[in-house]
Amino acid sequence: MSVRITSIGVVSAIGFSVAENLQSLREGKSGIGEITYLEDSRPFLVGEVKASNADLKGKLGLDSSHISRTSLLGLHAAREAWGENKLNSELRTGIISATSVGGMDRSEVFYKDYLTQNNPDYTLLKTHDSGSTTERIAVEMGISDYVNTLSTACSSGANAIMLGARLILQNKLDRVLVGGSDALARFTIDGFRSLMIYDDQWCRPFDETRSGLNLGEGAAFLLLEGEKSIAFSGNKTICYLSGWANAADAYHQTASSPEGVGATLAIGNALKKSGIEPEAISYVNAHGTGTKNNDLSESVALKNVFGENIPLFSSTKAFTGHTLAAAGAIEAVFSVLAIQNGLVYPNLNFKNPIEETCLTPVTSLQTDIPIHAVLSNSFGFGGNNSSLVFADHA
Amino acid sequence: MDTLKEDLKKQIIEQLNLEDITPADISDDNLLFNEEGLNLDSIDALELIVLLEKYHGIQVTNPDEGKVAFRSINSMAEYIRKRKS
Amino acid sequence: MEKNTYYITAASTISHQDTFGKTGFSDSMSPVVPPALITPDYKAFIDAGLLRRMSKILRMAVACAKDCLAQTGLDQPDAIITGTGLGCLQDTDKFLNTSLTVEGLLPPTAFIQSTHNTMAGQISLSLGNHGYNMTHTQNTLSFEHAMVDALLLLDEGEEHILVGAADEHIEILSEITSHLGYAPGFPLTSGASFFTISKEKGEGTVARIADCEPVAFAKDPVKKLTRFLNNNSLEINDLSKIIYAVPGNANEGEYESIWRKAGLDPEKCINYLSLCGVYPTASAFALNYAVDLISQDRSLKNILIFNALRKENLGLTLVQSVEA
Repeated sequence: MSVRITSIGVVSAIGFSVAENLQSLREGKSGIGEITYLEDSRPFLVGEVKASNADLKGKLGLDSSHISRTSLLGLHAAREAWGENKLNSELRTGIISATSVGGMDRSEVFYKDYLTQNNPDYTLLKTHDSGSTTERIAVEMGISDYVNTLSTACSSGANAIMLGARLILQNKLDRVLVGGSDALARFTIDGFRSLMIYDDQWCRPFDETRSGLNLGEGAAFLLLEGEKSIAFSGNKTICYLSGWANAADAYHQTASSPEGVGATLAIGNALKKSGIEPEAISYVNAHGTGTKNNDLSESVALKNVFGENIPLFSSTKAFTGHTLAAAGAIEAVFSVLAIQNGLVYPNLNFKNPIEETCLTPVTSLQTDIPIHAVLSNSFGFGGNNSSLVFADHA
Repeated sequence: MDTLKEDLKKQIIEQLNLEDITPADISDDNLLFNEEGLNLDSIDALELIVLLEKYHGIQVTNPDEGKVAFRSINSMAEYIRKRKS
Repeated sequence: MEKNTYYITAASTISHQDTFGKTGFSDSMSPVVPPALITPDYKAFIDAGLLRRMSKILRMAVACAKDCLAQTGLDQPDAIITGTGLGCLQDTDKFLNTSLTVEGLLPPTAFIQSTHNTMAGQISLSLGNHGYNMTHTQNTLSFEHAMVDALLLLDEGEEHILVGAADEHIEILSEITSHLGYAPGFPLTSGASFFTISKEKGEGTVARIADCEPVAFAKDPVKKLTRFLNNNSLEINDLSKIIYAVPGNANEGEYESIWRKAGLDPEKCINYLSLCGVYPTASAFALNYAVDLISQDRSLKNILIFNALRKENLGLTLVQSVEA
C-alpha cells in the first residue's frame, strides 16, 4: 500500500524553497558556516537558515512577537507544501509536525534573564511546549481536523510522515501535511558538545576521520493525499511513499548498537512494507551524521540488509547540518527530488572509507541515472530508528 | 591512605549518582567499566571527563584518551599525577 | 465498517494517591494533596544502573510500564507509545541551567535525558524491546493522541500495545503559572499512567476502549460531545459516569449545566483533577480511574472521559465495561 505525495516544501541552510535547495544540491554548495543569526558569540559551525526572526516574519507577513523560530521555519515550509490548495469542509485535513526543541530559542532568552534576576518575560514561555509549535502553524494554515506533534529526537520528522500515511490508509484523514521543524538553539549545541560529538571542522559523514556532527536548522513538509482528496484537488502525484518502519534499538541511551540491530530492523521492515526488492533501491539517503558511532552502525546495517550490493548512497548532512527533528522531513523532500530529477547527491567532505566497513558513498553529483526508488534513514537518541521508502510508482 | 584515590571515589559516587555505593565498596584496582566492577558506560565516561576538569583542572579533549585513563581508580590517579607533573 | 474492540488488559498509575498496585483504589479517594508522590520501591522495577540517572518522570513511566507487563504476563508488547505534554522537565531545566551558567565542560546526562522520547526509549531499553516506539506531545491531548496511535496499530494487525503518558512537576512551573495568570483550580502535580491495550481480552479484563478522539481548536464542545456519542450509538443520558476536567478559569457551572440539562445526576459527574491534580496528561489518570471504577462495579456500562483541561483542546474517550 502506498500513499500519494502531491506537494513538498522546505527551508534549510541551503535555501528558502524547494527550488533553492535543489540548486544548492546540484551545485554542491554547503550551507554550513560560523554562527551568524543565533545569539551566541562562540565560533561554532552550524547550518543556519540565512534569515533573522524579523526577516522570517517579514517574509511570512506576520507581525506577532509571540512566535518561536521553530514555528516560523515550520510555517514557511508548510505554506510552500500547501501551495494553492483550498480548505474544504468535505475533506478531513490534518497536520503532523515533529520537533525536538519546540520554542527553546525563546525559553533560553527567558532563562537567561530569570537566572540573573533581570526582569524575565514569562510570556516567552508560552511557546515552549512542542505541541504549541505545531498549533501555531496549524492556526495560520487554518487546519484543525487533526493536529499532532511527534518528538522522538532525530527520527521525529520521518515518524511524522509515517503516521500521516497510516492515518490516510486507515481512512482517518483525507489529506495531511506531514513534516518537521527545528530551530538552532544554544541548548542543543551545548548538548551535543557535552557528548563530545560536535565537530569544530566541517562534518565528514562516512569518512574514516569523521569526528562529529554540525547542527543545522530548518523545516520541511509534504502533502499526502488519499483518493477522495485527489478527486477533489485534481493534484498530480509527484511521488509515492511506499514503505515505512520504526524500530527500537534497545541498546543504549545514546549510542547505536555496533551490530546496527534497530537500524537493520527499520530498513528491512520498510523495504518489506514497500514490496520493493533491495536490489531495486536506486539510492539511499543515509542518516549519516558524521559521528563515529552512527556512521559505523548505519554502515553495518546497510551491509546487513543489502549484503555486497549496496545501492548508491550519500548523506546530505554536510549540506544542511543535522537538523534534528526536521532532518527526516528535509531528507524526505530531497528523496522526492532525487526521484523527480534523476539525481544522486554527493556526500561532501568524504576522503577515505571507514576501516571496519569499507563503504564509499557517492562523492559527485550523478545526473544520468534513472532513480525509481529511494530509501531514507533517520536514527535518533534512545535508539529510535526509522526508514522510509519513496518510489516513482504505486 | 592515598587521599587522591579516596577523593576520586567520593567524586565518582557524586558525579555519577551511584546511590547505593560507598567509597569502601570501590577497590583501587576494580575495573570501573567492567560488569564485575562498577559497570559504567560511555555516558559515565563523559561524566568522568567533566569530573577531571571540575575537580582537577585537567582537560581531556579526546574521549579515547579517557578510555585508558578510566580503567580503574589506580589508573585515574596515575593519569592525574602524570598530567599535573 | 465493523468497529474493532480494544481491550484494556492492564492499567498502572503512579500519582499523589495510593494508586500503584492497588485495584479498587477508586473506592477510597480523597482530594489530592501534593507534594509527595506515592511511589513504589523503584529498585524492584528498574535496574540500578539505569535508575541512578533517572528523573521522576522516567522512574514513574518505567515502573508503570513494567507493572502493566507483569499484570498481563506478556514478555514483550508489539509497540511502546507514550504521550507527554511537557516532557522531561527536570532534566531540561537542569541542562538549561548548566548551559547558561557553567563555563567549560558540561555534564551530558541531563541533556541526554531531556528529550521527550527518553521515557519510551528507557522502557524499550529496560525491556529489550525492538518494536515500534513512539512519543506524542500535543499539550493536554498528548495521551489521547498516543491512544489513537495505539488503536491504529491494533487495526493494522498488532496484538498488544503498551501505551501511557506522564508529566512531572518542577518547582519553577508553579512560579510560571502564577506569573502567566493561570489558575488551574487544583494543585499542580506529577503523574504517570500506563496501559496494555489488546485485541483479545485477558483473564480479569473488565473494560475496553470504545472510542478516543482528540479535538483541536474545539469551538463547540457540546456539539462535539453529542456527535462523538452519536458515532457510538449513545445519548448523553446513556452514560453511567462522566469523568471530566475543565479549564481552571472556566465557570464550572457552565459545564455542570450541560450534564444536568442532559439529565445526568450530578453524582455521576466527577472532576478528576480533584483526585490527581493538574498536569497535561492527567486524562491518562482518568482512564485508569474509569477502569478501576468498572472493576468495582460492572454495572457501569459507559464511562466518558471529557478532557477540556485546556480550553482549546478537547479529548473524548469512551470506556465500556466488558461482560464477565
